[in-house]
Amino acid sequence: MLREAVAKHRWWILLAIAGLAALAFVPFVLMPFHVRVGQLILLSTSLGLAWTLLGGFAGYWSFGHTAFIGLGAFAAGLFETQVLGLAFMRAEPLAGLGLGLLVGMGVCAVAAAIVAWPILRLRGIYFAVAMLGVAQVLAELTNSIDAFKGSMGLVFPRIPAFGLRQEAVFYYLLLIATAAILLIAFVVKNARIGHGLAAMREDEDTARMLGVPTERYKITMFVLSATLTGALGVIYAHSLGYITTGSVYRTDFSLNMIVYNLLGGMGTLLGPMIGAVIMVLLTQVVLGGFLNLHMFLTGAMLVALVLAAPKGIVGTWQAWRRRRASAAS
Amino acid sequence: MLALQTILDGLVLGGLYALAAVGFSLIFGVLGVVNLSHGAIVMIGAYLTWFLWHSTGLDPLLCIPPVMLVLFAFGYVYQRGLIQLAVDRSSLLASMLVTFGVALMLRNLLVLVFSPDFKSISPGWAFSFLRLAGGVTIDLVRISALGASLALLGALAYVLNRTRIGRVIRATAQQELAARLCGVNARHVYAVTFGVSAAFAGASGAILGIVLPFAPPDEANWTLNAFVVVVLGGIGSPSGALLGGLLLGLISTATSQLIGPAFPNAMMFLILVLMLMVRPSGLLGNAFAGSR
Repeated sequence: MLREAVAKHRWWILLAIAGLAALAFVPFVLMPFHVRVGQLILLSTSLGLAWTLLGGFAGYWSFGHTAFIGLGAFAAGLFETQVLGLAFMRAEPLAGLGLGLLVGMGVCAVAAAIVAWPILRLRGIYFAVAMLGVAQVLAELTNSIDAFKGSMGLVFPRIPAFGLRQEAVFYYLLLIATAAILLIAFVVKNARIGHGLAAMREDEDTARMLGVPTERYKITMFVLSATLTGALGVIYAHSLGYITTGSVYRTDFSLNMIVYNLLGGMGTLLGPMIGAVIMVLLTQVVLGGFLNLHMFLTGAMLVALVLAAPKGIVGTWQAWRRRRASAAS
Repeated sequence: MLALQTILDGLVLGGLYALAAVGFSLIFGVLGVVNLSHGAIVMIGAYLTWFLWHSTGLDPLLCIPPVMLVLFAFGYVYQRGLIQLAVDRSSLLASMLVTFGVALMLRNLLVLVFSPDFKSISPGWAFSFLRLAGGVTIDLVRISALGASLALLGALAYVLNRTRIGRVIRATAQQELAARLCGVNARHVYAVTFGVSAAFAGASGAILGIVLPFAPPDEANWTLNAFVVVVLGGIGSPSGALLGGLLLGLISTATSQLIGPAFPNAMMFLILVLMLMVRPSGLLGNAFAGSR
């Protein structure tokens, strides 16, 4: 199945490889500020892709995925500062970061596996709101239990590597993460599980009746999506250098992951990438000048988006191509 | 004694939760839409009341009818102009995103118009209180809040169960097609339902403003509370909202009293998940459409 998919999409794959290779040169060409914007675009793209593993492929829209950004960030941060200690982090920053990533991802995977059992029995709106609740509660617990240092904040040591500037280091980390998540998403979408998920998204009961192991598939995707989101949370936290509850448990993260997919096209790989690039450029560049109207304009954009292009850019484009093909024949 | 005071405070808070949630529950039950801007409408009610009370000196409880009227009109137009459009053009889940967008817009507008500071409504009788047997005290504000909440819930139950428009709303919720075949203008009914819901949200905002200080970002909490109340009690009925609201009030006061002031939300969520797993149609389970 996968081999046919690779053959069918070979031009897209080549384009993706070429694109990622071209992006690797960005830090040498652009100014530090623009590298930071690039960082943000990569973070948004990879978050959108990680969300789509569950939301886009299986149709389970999580409204609280920021739970895993926060969980990963705090797990890694507490591990690095309390278990490894600052001395170790100064001596071996890259090893420390690697261990922190593993811990963050591990904690997210375990937490997701535990939460998945009750929560994935819910569907549609109930699942969405339950995830909203998970994020809210984790944020509150992090903030109110002193051992988690949510209200005091956690400091992350700098990661000097290969003589690169800090923003370049995180740019490359996020570039690698984006490439990895894109690869995972491609494999999942075109493997057996991907077809099973597509069937589930259209009609879960029928899919189950026809022998798709829906329960196992959706738990797998939930854990995978949570783990990857957690890894991104760890990298993001390091790039900030200092985090509190509010800086990683952000409702707008959860919301944006949905918006990227909705704008680009739900259930596609290209969709969240296009959506993230457009949204970051729009919000950072165009709306940057209206700070006190920021929330209003974001809301208005959201409303306009759902009304104007309910299928997203990719969906609208595909529908247009299909119409043209049927008109030609 | 402490237990008695806790229960009493829980009931007062519960009445407020119930009133704030009943509109949310009605929309969920009849339209199937999760209105994430519900909390924002509650806050609009609170600010309109504050404005009326502050500028004219009108008693805040008397402000409730005009506030309800204004918000009814707002809700009617909001549903017909925006939400119906979103449901038609994409899906119920996408309509949820539209309401989220509107919530962001409303919150931003409230901050711009009324500033992000906390406001509170304190009428002249705010500081009188009754001393009940055994040292339990209750202030007049809380009595009137509980009384007004119960009266409004009763009025809504009467409208839904005994009047023509109530019958039409219930019929449309049960089966839209059949209702339309009997000559019901379903779109009008949906918009009216939304208007009623917004009006009750506004009323709860007015009462909330008398009991607690409020600020625009509170809206998210009120939306989440409404959701929990609906899941606890059952969708689409005032009695379900009342039961869920009172339970939630008791649970959250008891949790902050016994475990710690940081934990009511965590406890609420635990109960929410348990309920969704064990009995997703709510304790009363008399939803008319939402549990489909």
